[in-house]
Amino acid sequence: MWSVVKSVLAAFFGVQKDAQRREDFEEGHPVAFIAVGILMGLVFVAVVAFIAVSAAR
Amino acid sequence: MRTFIVWTAGCLVVPLMTTLAMANGWNMPVGVTDVSREVHSLHMTIFWICVVIGVIVFGAMFYSLFRFRHSKGAKAAHFHEHPLVEVIWTAIPLLILIGMAVPATATLKKMYDPSDADLDVMITGQQWRWHYEYLGEDVAFTSNLGTPRETIRGKGERGEHYLLEVDEPLVLPVDRKVRFLMTSDDVIHSWWVPDLAVKQDTIPGFVNENWVRINEPGVYRGQCAELCGINHGFMPIVLQALEEEEFDAWLAERKEAAAQEASGVDREWSLDELMARGEQSYNAVCASCHQPDGSGNPPAFPALAGNQALMEERERHIETVVNGVSGAAMPAFRNTLSPVEVAAVITYERNAWGNETGDVVQPSEIAERLEE
Ligand code: HEC
Ligand SMILES: [Cu+2]
Repeated sequence: MWSVVKSVLAAFFGVQKDAQRREDFEEGHPVAFIAVGILMGLVFVAVVAFIAVSAAR
Repeated sequence: MRTFIVWTAGCLVVPLMTTLAMANGWNMPVGVTDVSREVHSLHMTIFWICVVIGVIVFGAMFYSLFRFRHSKGAKAAHFHEHPLVEVIWTAIPLLILIGMAVPATATLKKMYDPSDADLDVMITGQQWRWHYEYLGEDVAFTSNLGTPRETIRGKGERGEHYLLEVDEPLVLPVDRKVRFLMTSDDVIHSWWVPDLAVKQDTIPGFVNENWVRINEPGVYRGQCAELCGINHGFMPIVLQALEEEEFDAWLAERKEAAAQEASGVDREWSLDELMARGEQSYNAVCASCHQPDGSGNPPAFPALAGNQALMEERERHIETVVNGVSGAAMPAFRNTLSPVEVAAVITYERNAWGNETGDVVQPSEIAERLEE
């Protein structure tokens, strides 16, 4: 699970180690990446919204 | 040594060209409001960031092209990934972007806060003129291109600002917060005055807000910045910023004149009076489409001179000018011209250029129609 989160974070940033990418493709399950991706996308939006709202005060 | 000279020359060219561009007035103006100053300094900050990045990136590129050229036997390096370098070249732009976003957002916040204004001005875009209304002051007027068509086409002396001149400028006070409420009667226009750092679309059915607090009295010019039809280039903006007392005096005078105009509705006007007044309004408002001599530009813009059918239909003539022709380019003038002006312009059209109907349309008749 932790490795999925790390890979999604790497995808957000846009840089991933080749070795990790191979491992993900061989061992990981696509649904896990999609689910964690959507979830963390929402978290990201929430964080940005929170910063915007508190900065606008 | 040679490389050194090339590099020094390269590093000098960019600032040199930049200085030249600024000295020539090609740069964005500093402007006359606190916000415009902030926008300008943001613009310069970001510009220099871009220059530095450009010099580094292109410098590295040209240096590599030159230094590792094929004829000197350079061999390409083959490697697949380098996470550290990749992280660095992602993180640096990210930090630069955040560094630019923080001050930019702070300025935007100020620009978007039109609260606590001392004066509200409604700005309405129309094909092809601007209409200004001082809300709650009973003062409103239309600002048309001031230079006659013939002069623009090359007959007669053209002034320096002949395409940026209006018949009546927008007049605003300095040191007071003025809120703009901006909309349009027909298509999307954009009210743009560089010295205020205001460029705001005026959209039919929407009211956009903006504001200024001008620091220095003076005359500031602008233009419509949204392609809005054939005369898009002929609806300039002139803004005259006056000292507060001068502005108050101006406003009082305009209020007085507006009251006079309103009382003009109650009295009888002579044919000559209406003709004189009508000619003025016709040339300012109608001539751009129907031509100064009433010949129009058929089939798009009908001729009014010698228009027999129209001369026989006084009622339809009034109706057309008051309410326009929906679905055609003929605007309604019920809100943009006063009853006196509408009456005068119709009387003028019915008696000028050989249209000798002898008809007089009284302002009171128009006023009654508008009340219906
Ligand atoms: C933006 C261009 C434009 C302007 C400005 C304009 N008109 Fe028109 N006008 C038209 C067009 C187009 C028509 C034809 C409408 C139609 O399709 O029937 C027209 C038609 C008319 C007609 C009816 C002519 C006929 O034979 O039926 C009258 C009268 C008229 N305009 C008067 C005026 C007056 C007075 C003004 C100024 C206060 C004015 N117009 C300003 C475009 C314009
Ligand atoms: Cu326009």
